[in-house]
Amino acid sequence: MITVAAISLNVAVLIASYGLMDGMVKHLISNVTNMVTGEVQIHAPRYLVDHSMYKVVKNPTGIMERLGSRSIYGVARSYGYGLVACGNKSAGALFWGVDPAMEKKYFDLAEHVATGRYLGSVPRKEIVVGRKLARSLNVKIGSEVVLVVQAADGSLGNDLFTVRGILKAAGDRIDRDAAIMHCQDFEELFVSGGRIHEIALNTRGAVSLAALEQLAAAAAPGTDVKSWRQLMPALSDMVNFFDAGMWLFGMIFFLAAALGVMNTMLMSTFERIREFGILKAIGTSPWRILGDVAAESFALSLVSTVIGGIIGIGLSLFFMHKGLDTSIFIPGDAAVSVSGIAFDPVWRATISLKTILSPILMMWFISLIASLYPAAIAARLDPVKAMARV
Amino acid sequence: MQLNIGSSIKRIVLLWLLLFFMVPVSPCPAKQTLNARKILDRVDDLFRGKSSKGIMTMKIVTVHWTRTLKVEWWSEGKDKSLMRILAPKKEKGTATLRVGNDIWNYLPKVNRIIKLPSSMMSASWMGSHFTNDDLVKESRMAEDYTFELTFRGKRDKGEILEVTCLPKPDAPVVWGKVLVVVRSGDYLPLKILYYDEEMKLVRTMYFSDIGPLGNRTLPRIMRIVPEDKPHEMTEITYEKMTFDLALPARTFSIRSLRR
Repeated sequence: MITVAAISLNVAVLIASYGLMDGMVKHLISNVTNMVTGEVQIHAPRYLVDHSMYKVVKNPTGIMERLGSRSIYGVARSYGYGLVACGNKSAGALFWGVDPAMEKKYFDLAEHVATGRYLGSVPRKEIVVGRKLARSLNVKIGSEVVLVVQAADGSLGNDLFTVRGILKAAGDRIDRDAAIMHCQDFEELFVSGGRIHEIALNTRGAVSLAALEQLAAAAAPGTDVKSWRQLMPALSDMVNFFDAGMWLFGMIFFLAAALGVMNTMLMSTFERIREFGILKAIGTSPWRILGDVAAESFALSLVSTVIGGIIGIGLSLFFMHKGLDTSIFIPGDAAVSVSGIAFDPVWRATISLKTILSPILMMWFISLIASLYPAAIAARLDPVKAMARV
Repeated sequence: MQLNIGSSIKRIVLLWLLLFFMVPVSPCPAKQTLNARKILDRVDDLFRGKSSKGIMTMKIVTVHWTRTLKVEWWSEGKDKSLMRILAPKKEKGTATLRVGNDIWNYLPKVNRIIKLPSSMMSASWMGSHFTNDDLVKESRMAEDYTFELTFRGKRDKGEILEVTCLPKPDAPVVWGKVLVVVRSGDYLPLKILYYDEEMKLVRTMYFSDIGPLGNRTLPRIMRIVPEDKPHEMTEITYEKMTFDLALPARTFSIRSLRR
């Protein structure tokens, strides 16, 4: 009974924690990819080295069309550095020229606005700024700001803009220096003549990463195609680390379960040593005994995993719907950011066949293996000696 | 998309600050003895005066664009200056005022005055052809470097003197070595070569068109060529210059930015 309880608990905890871990990893990845980064990005070769205004993606419309014909969509963006000033305050910023309608369609940043609104589809000399930038400039919705940039032709671009929205926490980099404007306003300010520096593709998981990379490389020859794993190596490492950690975590549980099963089966084998002796004496083959003990152990784990599975799925469902609010553990404003990526403080589990079946199947396998030793002892008994034992 | 707000802004700031080149003090040495210190002081003081005003054109050539600015400026002491762009049309009237560590810009297009963050003052102008040290030049070579006369004689069709400067251990300078080449006779600079700490040539400043400027004789064209981008350069041509004139105090006020 105790063993059944222990294994059930094991399975339940494993299912729930696999669900939580999987949820965290998926949340992390989708946060990164759906927010702004996308699954794959296209840049001019070496653009990522110095972010030069002059390293542009050639023929961006052609690339987008070729990818669109394969149902892969994304957005084109331009970037340029400059200065934002409001009153007596000024700060450096990275200006983004975006197509607001496309951003809304394929990415989540547009919905990630704390106050005000995201850009409209008509260029109106409005900007949406990161929250730290807004704070350091002391701007509010409707504030008038002066933008000063070095335009692509070397001249001094400057103009008045209005703050239309302030973003929620979206990672340190965006918080600190993002100033997002309509691509037509960007072109005018930077005299950029439609220069595109980045194409970000996002299929929200519909196309596998490797396939997406290949398609992008084929559609945009002579460019630098990178997946989010290459763009954010720290996150990629973290995901790998989580996976390895979960594997290790699972191993410890399985080891404990295996010892439990083995102990139970050993005990029950010794308790019934005379019965086994009799079985042997009447000519039962050792293989039969081995199979009996293993089957018993399997039955034990079957019962346990059913109970554990039900509890585990219940826990996972709970964590999936209610989530685990981690913000109570975090002091201050709950803008959790992991390697520059904003993180929802409510931690939710995901349920998949993988998170449920892998602990159960693993447990069956483990208990079979663990039963082999007691089973072998029973099978190899000398019937005379065994029956003589009290 | 991992970025620093680097060179472009600095280049913008550079446009504004180029003027600080011409800062303070004292006219030509009366007697010219062959003395390395005198050569360095002469080069340092070339464009310095109690005050100055003038007009210059600045030609900036990069691989992506070439442009020429015509700039009028006023300066007083080490740390007060006002410059106003006369041409091209797009930037006409754009003005920059510097008083101490504060910099204000007036942008006529939007009719606003903005104050630059002080962090940009102390930044070095990577990506441009000038460094911070060029622009806010308060240091004196004779004090920050150990120096030695390393060449004297004919080179490039002229009698020249060459002084090699190595920074003193604790001097606040960015260079590993500076070579100053001057005309023998009046010690007017011909070129200055700047080396980094690995003794690699980083950039060369050329001086040419020696002639009367204000009441002095000076090189009227100054050109900087970065070694790693030999096709780029910045060239300043002084068209008019007056030294040691009386400027009213309101010259360096925010109000005079707009004019």
